[in-house]
Amino acid sequence: MSRIGVFICHCGTNISATVDVEKVGEAAAKLPNVVHVELNKYMCSDPSQDMIREVIKEYNIDRIVMGTCSPRMHELTWRKLLATTDVNPYMLEVANLREQCSWVHKNRTVATAKAIDLIKMAVAKVDKLSPLKTTQIPVTKRALVIGGGIAGMQVALDIADAGFPVTIVEKKSSLGGNMVMLDKTFPTLDCSACICTPKMSEVANHPNITVKTLAEVEAMNGYVGNFEVTIREKAKYIDYDLCTGCGACMTKCPSKVPNEFDQGMSERPSIYKMFAQAVPAKPVIDPVNCRKLTEGKCGVCAKICPTGAIRYDDEDKVTTETYGAVIFATGYELIDWKKIYGEYGGGMYPDVITGLQFERLVNASGPTEGHILRPSDGKEPKSVVIVKCVGSRDPHKGVSYCSRACCMYGAKHAHQYMDKVPDGNCYVFYMDVRTPGKNYDEFYRSAVHDGVNYLRGRVSKIYEEDGKLVCLGEDTLSSRPVRVDADMVVLETAMVPSTGVEEVAALFGVGRDKDNWLVEAHAKLRPVETNTAGVYLAGVCQGPKDIPDTVCQAGAAAAKVIGLLNKPSLESNPQISRVNEALCQGDGACVNICPYGAISLVTKHFRENSRHVDRVVAQVNPAMCQGCGACTVTCRAGAMDLLGYTNESIMREVDALCQW
Amino acid sequence: MTMEEVQTALRKRVGQLLEDGTVATFLGWEAGRFPNQTTPLVVNDAAAAEKLVWNEYCVNTLAKYTRDLAYRGRVGIVVHGCNSRGIVRLINDKEITREDVYLIGVGCPGMHDMNGEPLKKCKECRHQNPVLFDEFIGDKVEEKTPEGRWAEVEAVEAMTQKERAAYFESVYSKCIRCYACRDVCPCCTCRECFVDARREDWVGKQNNLPENRFYGITRVMHIGDRCIECGECERVCPMDLPLMTMNRKVIRDMNELFGEFESGMAIGEAKEKLMTYEKTDPEEFM
Repeated sequence: MSRIGVFICHCGTNISATVDVEKVGEAAAKLPNVVHVELNKYMCSDPSQDMIREVIKEYNIDRIVMGTCSPRMHELTWRKLLATTDVNPYMLEVANLREQCSWVHKNRTVATAKAIDLIKMAVAKVDKLSPLKTTQIPVTKRALVIGGGIAGMQVALDIADAGFPVTIVEKKSSLGGNMVMLDKTFPTLDCSACICTPKMSEVANHPNITVKTLAEVEAMNGYVGNFEVTIREKAKYIDYDLCTGCGACMTKCPSKVPNEFDQGMSERPSIYKMFAQAVPAKPVIDPVNCRKLTEGKCGVCAKICPTGAIRYDDEDKVTTETYGAVIFATGYELIDWKKIYGEYGGGMYPDVITGLQFERLVNASGPTEGHILRPSDGKEPKSVVIVKCVGSRDPHKGVSYCSRACCMYGAKHAHQYMDKVPDGNCYVFYMDVRTPGKNYDEFYRSAVHDGVNYLRGRVSKIYEEDGKLVCLGEDTLSSRPVRVDADMVVLETAMVPSTGVEEVAALFGVGRDKDNWLVEAHAKLRPVETNTAGVYLAGVCQGPKDIPDTVCQAGAAAAKVIGLLNKPSLESNPQISRVNEALCQGDGACVNICPYGAISLVTKHFRENSRHVDRVVAQVNPAMCQGCGACTVTCRAGAMDLLGYTNESIMREVDALCQW
Repeated sequence: MTMEEVQTALRKRVGQLLEDGTVATFLGWEAGRFPNQTTPLVVNDAAAAEKLVWNEYCVNTLAKYTRDLAYRGRVGIVVHGCNSRGIVRLINDKEITREDVYLIGVGCPGMHDMNGEPLKKCKECRHQNPVLFDEFIGDKVEEKTPEGRWAEVEAVEAMTQKERAAYFESVYSKCIRCYACRDVCPCCTCRECFVDARREDWVGKQNNLPENRFYGITRVMHIGDRCIECGECERVCPMDLPLMTMNRKVIRDMNELFGEFESGMAIGEAKEKLMTYEKTDPEEFM
C-alpha cells in the first residue's frame, strides 16, 4: 500500500479564484491511499516547502501529488525538495491546476470539477510509480559556437577566458557578422570597426579558440555533455599554411563580381577577402565565379602567388568532434523588401537603399570612402528620407514584431547624414519612436535638435519625377498629406532570422517560433537556454536585439555554459525507455523510430520453455535516450516502457478519469 | 501437371528432403476426418511423407507454424501464394530467418470449402503463385486480377456517419472475442498480445461492444501496414465478421497517404509505413 500526500496550492489567487481549492482538497482526501491533504497559499515558498518536509515525515508519506502550476514551472523544485527527504525525487506527480485548469476556465463549478479529475488522475498514476535512480554521465569540456558575429565572438571569448576550448563555426569566410559592416554604433557614435575588429583579432589569437570559416554544421548525434557534431568546412582553394595574406592574387584576378560585403555597391575579384580587416586575414576563391574553377582557363592567381598557396583541387573538409555544450549565435539578415514593397519601387530605383547599404556608404572603408554619394549618379543627396518600420510591425506584408534597433539606427543615420551634409535636409517617417535604453532617448532628442524632421506616418508610395524620388505619406500629427521630394531614400528594414537556421536548429531539436526565431526555454526565467539541455542561445537568433543587448545575452549564455562545463559529470535523466526483454520480439520498429539513435538490437541468451535460445532484443543506450517515448507507442507488443510514465501508470490515469 | 501428380511428386520430394537431412520437419496438409477437408500436418520422418495431400481443400495457411518448429532445425513447407507471403512477412518481422525454412513452391488454383464452393479469400486472391521458393513442383498457374478489391471498403465509406456507427456496432456486438483471427494471422506474432497484458490492462476482458470494438480496431491498426491480405482471419471467424473490410480500409488509406505498398512481396521490402518516420511524411491528417 502506498502512502500518498496531496498538496494543493492556491497560487495566490491564480488557482483559487477559479477553482474551489477547499473542495478539491476534500475530494482528494477520499481518494484511495491518500493519507494526508494539505492546502497552501504559496506552495513553492520556503516556509511551505518546510511544511511539506514535516508533513512527509509526520505521515510517513512515500509519494506525493502536487496540485500546483505546470510541471514545466516547478517539477524540478519539487524534485529538489524530495531529494532532501527520504522520498525518492521521482515519486512525484504534478497535477497542473493552473495553466491547464484555472487559467483557461472561467466557470468555477466546471473548473473545480476538472481540478478534482486532474488530482484523481495524478493520484492514480503516482500510485504505480517506482523509485528511479540517476547515474552520472561525463561532460566533454569543450563548447561549440555556431555563428561568428558579435554574439558568437563574445560568447566564445567569455568561455575561452574561463579556460575551456571553444570552436566557432562561421558560414562566411570571415568573422564579424553584421556588426563589422556598420559604420558607427549608437548611442555613443563610436566606430563599429574600432570595437569589432579588435574582438575578431582577439578571437583569432586566443589559444583556446578554434575558428572554422566557410563552415556549416552538417549532423549531430548525442546529448548534453556529449554532442557529436559533424562540421563541413567548404573548400577555400588556398593552403592557409602557406598563404601569407599578401593580397597579390586579389589585385591580378581578372573577374569582377558584385561585392556582397558592400551590399552590391562595389566590385570584388573572385579571389577575395570579405573586407580589408577580415579574420582570418587570408583570401578565399569564390568557386561560382572563378574562371579557373568554372571554365578551366585563367590560373593567374596561382602564377602570381609567391608562396604557391593556391589549390584549385581543394576539397571540402568534414570533421566530427564532441562538444559538451552548443551555443546558437546565428544572427539575422534583413528582410527582402524588394519582394513585398512594390509601392517603394520594389528595387526599381537605385537610390532607394537599405539601412545596411547606407552604413556602407557612410563607412570610411566603404565604396565611397565615407562620402555620402547616391548610387545612381554619385552625387551628394541634398535631401534624404528615412523610412522606419519597413517590414517590421506590418503583419500583412512583412513581420508582426518590432525589430527594436531601427528607431535608434534610424536616428543614427539621420545624425550621420546631417553631420556629413550640413546643408542637406533629412526627413524621418516613423510610426512610433521607441528608445528604451540608457542614453537612447537623449540620442534621439539630439537628432531632432540638430534639425532632423520627424514625421509621424508611413510612406505610402515612392516614385520618380524629374530626377527626384517623390515620397508620399501622411503626417498623422497634423492630419495632412505630406509630399517630400528626396534625392535618396533609406529604408530601415526588418530583421529576419538567417537563412538555413531552421535546418541547424532541427539537428539539435531547438524550437522555432512563428517567425522562425529560436525559442528560449522560458521567456523570463531561462532566456538563454533552450528546451534541449546543453544548447544555448546568444544574440539576435532568439529575437531582434541591438548590440548592447546581444553582448549581454552572449555573456549570460557563456556563464551558463561555463557552469555546465565546470561540472565534473552530469546527472542523467532516469526517465528513459526500458525494454521488457520477455516481450521484445526484436523486430526493430523502435530502432527505426528513435530520433536519437539510442536503440540498437543485440542478441541475448535466454532460457525459455525449458530451452536455451539466442534471441534478438532491443537495447536502450541510457545516455542517449531523451525519454521522448516514441518507441513506447511504436512497439505493438508494449515491450517498451518509459520509466516515470509507464504504460501501466498512464492506463491507471485513464481509468481514474473514466471509471471512478 | 494435375494436382494429383503434384501431390505424388511432393510426397517423393519431401521424403528425400527428410532423408538427406535438408529439413528437420516438413509442413503440409493431410486428409482430414471428413471428406473434402484437410488438416495441417507436420511430417517428422520420410515414411510419414506419404500422408501429405495437395488438393483443392488445402484451405489453411501454414506459414505461422514455422515459428514453432524452427528450433528443431530447418522447416520445409509447401508454399503457394499466401503461404509464401506469410513466410516473407515472418522473415521481415524477424520472427524466422530465410535459412530457417526450405520452400517447395506450388501453383494454387484456388481452394474450396467442404461444399465445393470457392473460398471468398481465394476469389479475392491476387497472388496464387509463390513469391518466394527454393524449388517448384508442377506448373505455375495463370494469375488473375480480381476486381473490386476496395468494393467493401467503399460501401462502408459511402455510409453516413450514423449508418457507419450502426454498422460497426452490428459487427462488433457479434464478436465473441475467441481471438481466432489473431491466432491465425501471420502478422500477429507478439510474444504477448495486448489483449492478454494483465499489468497494463489495455483492454477489458469483458465481452461487450466497447471492449470488442477496441480489440478489433487496435488489431487492425497493429497489422494495418503489414497485412498480406491472405484472408485467413475472415475465414476462421466463427461469427463471420467482415474482418478484411477493416484491414483493407487501413491498407487503402495508407496507400493513399504514403504510396502504394503491398506487404509480404519481397524480403527486406520497403519499411512498414506506420513504423518509420521521414521528414517528407504528409501531415494532412494531423
